[in-house]
Amino acid sequence: MRRTILTGIVLVTGLLVLLDLMILNPSLHGAAGAVNELLVLLAAAAAVGGGAALAAHHVRNLAAADGDSAASVVLLLGMAAVLVAGLRPGSSGSSDPAVLWLVAALLAPIAASVFALLFIFLLGAFRRGFAIRARETTLMAGAAAVVIVLLLPVGGQAGDWLAAGAGWVRDVPLGGVFRGLLIGIGILVAVSAARTLLGLDADDE
Amino acid sequence: MSDESFARLRRAAPALVLLLALAVASLLSGSIGGLRLASPDRSRVDQVRNAIGNLPDSALVLLAFDADLGTYAEIRATTRSAIDDLRAHGARLAIVSFTPEGRAIAAAERDRMARAGEVAPVDLGFVAGSEAGLVRGIESIIPAGAEGDTVDAVREGGGGIGAFDMVLIISGSDISARSWVEQVGTRLPALPMVAIAPTFLDPELEPYLRSGQLTALISTLREGVAYTETVAAGSASAPGPIVGSLPMLVGLLAALGVLAEAAFRQLGRRSRSTVRRRGRR
Repeated sequence: MRRTILTGIVLVTGLLVLLDLMILNPSLHGAAGAVNELLVLLAAAAAVGGGAALAAHHVRNLAAADGDSAASVVLLLGMAAVLVAGLRPGSSGSSDPAVLWLVAALLAPIAASVFALLFIFLLGAFRRGFAIRARETTLMAGAAAVVIVLLLPVGGQAGDWLAAGAGWVRDVPLGGVFRGLLIGIGILVAVSAARTLLGLDADDE
Repeated sequence: MSDESFARLRRAAPALVLLLALAVASLLSGSIGGLRLASPDRSRVDQVRNAIGNLPDSALVLLAFDADLGTYAEIRATTRSAIDDLRAHGARLAIVSFTPEGRAIAAAERDRMARAGEVAPVDLGFVAGSEAGLVRGIESIIPAGAEGDTVDAVREGGGGIGAFDMVLIISGSDISARSWVEQVGTRLPALPMVAIAPTFLDPELEPYLRSGQLTALISTLREGVAYTETVAAGSASAPGPIVGSLPMLVGLLAALGVLAEAAFRQLGRRSRSTVRRRGRR
């Protein structure tokens, strides 16, 4: 029964949105718009719920002295700082100077630094990888070395050749593999959606 | 110094030396000949410039700002140049975000423009609901209480994304140009969409450019540098900090050095163990 209701909801909402794309009808458009509004509310509720669950998890960790207490304290203080800056009386929300300062002076540089450190950690991982799985790491490092050489910022004719090579690697092997993955994921999603719409699961096989 | 401290320093030394080399290279950058970071292929730059150049007078352009905090550094200079380019063509700009991170960066950028004495784009704020919010924006994108000439012009055009003459999508991983093509492009096929994206999104966005669903795309650092240099050449204002070719060269050579050292070390280890095995036999 529960499965039938869920399938029915998915079927009706999916068809409504699809028909709205294909047929120009004000009533249909209004109904599809209402479904979309519900989706927006659902996404907002999920975001608030996710934030609350994260805070609750770390408060529980602190209370039970479980896990990394320092990290939990930093996370909760960070959340509190952003919430107070954005929600305190008189605040202009995400445009408030305090929020802007937190983002420009702390969040953006910290996130960019963590991302930049990936370079050093990745090189460290390669060094360790050679000792653990030499064959796979050699293959990966070989491919990385080729791409690095192609990306060298050299001028002149040599630079033109390298840049053309880098463009070819991006467009052909890398693009091909990536698009293959995307097409595969698309087919899987389509099959999974069709199974949901038809109410099929593992028991039916 | 104790042995333990010395060992710790020795372990950290390569990373510290690399950071120091990158810092020095950043300071020296600009004075080194024979290096070129800008892409020699200008076709992408021309596409963006043509898309902006073909806009009507006082065109309404929506800046869809959904960059990530982690990858924004890669596209920051390109984004600022594109905004300068649009301003130089007399476009009326409005800015909107569909992700919280994008909103944070957009607000910080607006603040920077205001501090620099530039006219900041009209703020359409944050639209909740991710892709569902994007679909809702087609109907209505103006927040309650928004006022001004640009907002009035958008209202006259229907009040939604369709009122704009072009959308410049500053892509991140959550909402990228792909979401725009899928959700907005199918409903507003005549709306020109130009995207700026970090390199990791390039394989995903390339097919949309080739199919014409994206009017123009800048998705690598080298294309971004080429675009920034082109815009800066025709502008009185400075483009702001651009990635230098010398630090990039130092970083790439260091990476090659580490890979080669690790590979040779492994090779040496393997040949020593083979010799040992043969000796036992």
